[in-house]
Amino acid sequence: MIKKVFEKPLNFLETIFFLDFIKGMSVTIKQAFTKTITTHYPYEKLTAPKRFRGFFGHKTVNGLEPQPAFDEWAERMKVEPQPSKSRCVVCYLCKKACPVPDLFEIDGKKLENGKKVVSVFNMNLMLCTFCGLCVDACPVDCLFQSDIQETASFSRKDAILNLEKLELIGKVWQDRREQEPDRIWIDDEAREKLWRENKLNLRKVDNA
Amino acid sequence: MQATEKTLNEIKAKIPYVDVKKEKLTSVVYVQKELLFNVLKAIKEDFGFKLFIDHSVVDTLEADNRFEAFYILYNVDTKERMLVKTKTEHALPSVEKLWFAAKWAERECYDMFGVNYEGHEHLVRAFMWDTYSHYPLRKDFPLGGYETVELPSLNESTFGDNLSGTMNYKRTHTYVPTLKDLEYTERNRIKKKAQVVLNWGPLHPGTHGTMWFLFDLEGERIVQTDVILGQLHRGVEKLAEHEPYQQFLVYTDRMDYISGLCSNQAWTVTVERLLGIEDMVPLKAKYIRTMMSELQRINSHLLWLGTYALDLGALTIFLYAFKEREKIMDIIEGITGARLTISYTRIGGVRMDLPQGALDVIESFVKFFPKELKDWEKILSRNRIWVKRNKEVGVLTKEDIYFYGLTGAVARGSGVFYDIRKLEPYDAYSMVDFDVPLGENGDCYDRYLVRVEEMRQSIRIIEQCLQKLKTMSPNEPFMAESGDPKKLKLTLDGIGLKVPAGEVYSSGENPRGELGFYINSKGGLKPYRVKIRPGSFYNLCVYPHLMENRYIADAVTVLASLDPVVGEVDR
Amino acid sequence: MSIIALGIIIAVKVVVILVIILGIGAYLTLVERKVAAHIQRRPGPMVVGWHGLLQPLADGIKLLTKEDILPSSANPILYNLAIVMALVPATLVFAVVPFGPEIHIFGYDIKPILTDVNIGIILAFAFGSLAVYGVALSGWASNSKYALIGALRKAGIIISYEVVITFAALGPIMLAKSLSTYDIVMAQIHQKVWYIFLQPISFVVFVFALLAETGRVPFDIQEAEAELVTGFTVEYGGMKFGLFPLVEWYVEVLSLSSILTVLYLGGWSPLNIPFIGFVDPFFFLGAWSGFIWFIIKVSILFLLVLWLHWTLPRYRIDQITTVAWKVMLPLALFNILISAFIAPLLRG
Repeated sequence: MIKKVFEKPLNFLETIFFLDFIKGMSVTIKQAFTKTITTHYPYEKLTAPKRFRGFFGHKTVNGLEPQPAFDEWAERMKVEPQPSKSRCVVCYLCKKACPVPDLFEIDGKKLENGKKVVSVFNMNLMLCTFCGLCVDACPVDCLFQSDIQETASFSRKDAILNLEKLELIGKVWQDRREQEPDRIWIDDEAREKLWRENKLNLRKVDNA
Repeated sequence: MQATEKTLNEIKAKIPYVDVKKEKLTSVVYVQKELLFNVLKAIKEDFGFKLFIDHSVVDTLEADNRFEAFYILYNVDTKERMLVKTKTEHALPSVEKLWFAAKWAERECYDMFGVNYEGHEHLVRAFMWDTYSHYPLRKDFPLGGYETVELPSLNESTFGDNLSGTMNYKRTHTYVPTLKDLEYTERNRIKKKAQVVLNWGPLHPGTHGTMWFLFDLEGERIVQTDVILGQLHRGVEKLAEHEPYQQFLVYTDRMDYISGLCSNQAWTVTVERLLGIEDMVPLKAKYIRTMMSELQRINSHLLWLGTYALDLGALTIFLYAFKEREKIMDIIEGITGARLTISYTRIGGVRMDLPQGALDVIESFVKFFPKELKDWEKILSRNRIWVKRNKEVGVLTKEDIYFYGLTGAVARGSGVFYDIRKLEPYDAYSMVDFDVPLGENGDCYDRYLVRVEEMRQSIRIIEQCLQKLKTMSPNEPFMAESGDPKKLKLTLDGIGLKVPAGEVYSSGENPRGELGFYINSKGGLKPYRVKIRPGSFYNLCVYPHLMENRYIADAVTVLASLDPVVGEVDR
Repeated sequence: MSIIALGIIIAVKVVVILVIILGIGAYLTLVERKVAAHIQRRPGPMVVGWHGLLQPLADGIKLLTKEDILPSSANPILYNLAIVMALVPATLVFAVVPFGPEIHIFGYDIKPILTDVNIGIILAFAFGSLAVYGVALSGWASNSKYALIGALRKAGIIISYEVVITFAALGPIMLAKSLSTYDIVMAQIHQKVWYIFLQPISFVVFVFALLAETGRVPFDIQEAEAELVTGFTVEYGGMKFGLFPLVEWYVEVLSLSSILTVLYLGGWSPLNIPFIGFVDPFFFLGAWSGFIWFIIKVSILFLLVLWLHWTLPRYRIDQITTVAWKVMLPLALFNILISAFIAPLLRG
């Protein structure tokens, strides 16, 4: 259970022939002749894994919603599902789950047939901690986090996501990456540079 | 574990004027404020509760005695923990003669609550600047402070930034300290003993963050050191009173930002103990939490090794350590989605199961890492320059460990067997096999060897968790199911989780020391008082003692071997 | 030869030395960055020019176009004088370094050494000692506590290691029986042995003293970033700031390595088998092969210094001076004792 740590001190021969320096120098010179491992950003970029927690998006109604949860919630909150538009059922659960509830601004508007539809959904990402509790709370798999990470801008307006931006991010994500399997990451050349020395061979997996 | 009935009865027999009580999760000794010093002295010396863990104050808004103070003490031989409580309206006697760590804890309580400590040598504020006039953690101080200053430039519409409502900044702001306030704080420090005063910090590449040290120099020798903290104070304990339990998780990994998962785990385990659902957490979740936490421990120790070697001149070790750190962060990013502020654990389990391929990647990392570590030890461990810089520098005896309340690798380097993973096991630590490295002399060299050996033991733990996780099927649950959703609502997002009334103190073994949480709950969604016991804060309080009569060059060595992180010191 | 020819030869030598030394000094920054980067598994400068070859030009332009600052409480004369006092003595050492054997151009016999005085080695070490002024003046004139501490440390180190380097160099001087740099090299060629084989202890002492004089790891305590944030140059900006590392780390290393090759590695002589003879793969170049051998030897020494820099940690100030006075100086004196016995055994 207990392990005592100690190191032997240098003996006389090692001291006069500088063997401790030479051993250290042999390690560094060996490393100098191996390949480099860095990614030359922005000429080379890494692909983010599927679970990456970047900017938010709303998935749209396209027939792949989680049933029967979507139908039940649309029924309960009296919301009319609109094809190719956001799946949001205005349940306010994301706002309740957030540590900083002030960053959400959600509102719905009434249609002629008495049902509601979401009209305002603003997220102030300057207050966001990107924790993902709102994504866990959404009952219809509408709010999600995409892999958008290069988000520097010149004005505060670009940090506020409104409903059009969210739907756009959602549509692009559903075309681009929704069908990927839940694998730890995508193999690309830039990541291979770092992991080559580990001799890693990940099996290719199919859709789970 | 809590102090047993036997110990409490012995205390009652020896000191008849105290009240003892064994609650479900704590063992408490109640004492009057006038007799506090003698009782603590007796408990420390006669009953062996030598290690000082924490001290703070709860603001119950009662009519007579408003503040309830508590002291948490630990007995290393019998592994018992005890709370000593007292009540006061304004003032308390200072116990700094018994433990030096209490000096800093009392300064913090004075700063946050306004409790006056009689007999304290230098009672100034710990975090806020000296001309600040409020006491922030009192219940009548609002969460956003008193917003009295108007900052009009924040609302100008440049680039068409006319944003409405909560999407924009407020016009008024709290008072921001000016240079005059900082100069007053600097003048209010301990009386200087030498002619030349060197300011090391607050912005300096050598201090590990924004810490401000003032050295009184005679030639190259340091005669006295003073520490001014508070540059990174964010008021996390005040925020905790306004956040539900699951939502507070986000703030825990921003304190010790280098090992966020370990802090998350400590908080989750504390709330689970308060709820009483520790046995309901599924086995898979326990093993995943342990494995990720040990990966974070290696991550944090690699950063420590890199910056330690960098401060001492061996510049390549920094980049080699960061190469391995990059691999660990790739693993954590693939599993949880974030690299630094992770928030992966949930009360009752973890957020998501492991993705496909995660176990293969971790296995290949675990096979390759020990070879790299051995190579780096060739550069450093027996190098005569390294040994000369680190041996006999910053020596801490066992008595120092108890007197200053030191934990973590600092305590283990001096030969004190204090590892929370063995003494109060949580998650899967009781089911895996590992050794705890102990040093002998307590100098910087021993602390270096202890941390390097800890990395190897972490690899051992990860290998055992991997073997166990490979045998589990993907359909096993990773989140606890509550038997009665009306009484106890356990969901991934934590909405509506009600916690019964009570108090608990529980801690986890962070790479930097013991991170403890004391929760005082009066039932309901939000806690009443949360006190965070940071390992780095108490590890830093021994720094002035270690720097007497040493050279400036040793300032860097000793600070790096104590390994503080300012996010945890200042909270 | 006539005065005009003499004047032209001297002028050409001066221009060649200044241009090559300062030009190479700038490009050595790129060499150091590339070697350091590959030791650390990263590529180094890659963007400016092909694989970073124009990086020193970019750095030079950046430093030259920065604002010329003067701290308000600094002494302006000493502040600017310190840079001159740092640069000039380091370049003057090259006046006594022989780069190759005697060559014949246009009918004149030219020795590729600027001044072949008969006390060349003493001049070289004297110029090295003048380097203290640059450091001490800059530390004092900056009027800042960090600069003062760094300057005092560096001045202490230079003074200690001047003594050590002089005593270590006495060994080869005794074996060669002359103080002139040209004659020391000729003595090694006539005796058919490089003095490194006869004086290993003194070689090691000289290498340590080289590292200490030029402020490279393990002795770079005065610019330890973690404590003093570039030490005595902390109040300088722009090209004045860039000149200090250029002089210290590159020009002085080159000059002291040149002295080291002259004393121990036989100057411009080709590969040596002790007491037997020389092997020269570049024999077809005639007399010019000496220049190539000199450059090869100085480059290998420079790479060795870089290799040590990026591997080892650094000493503390009291340990540096302890090592100098208690370990290196007795070793150097012991070496003189041994050389006194070896010297009469070698013929002229």
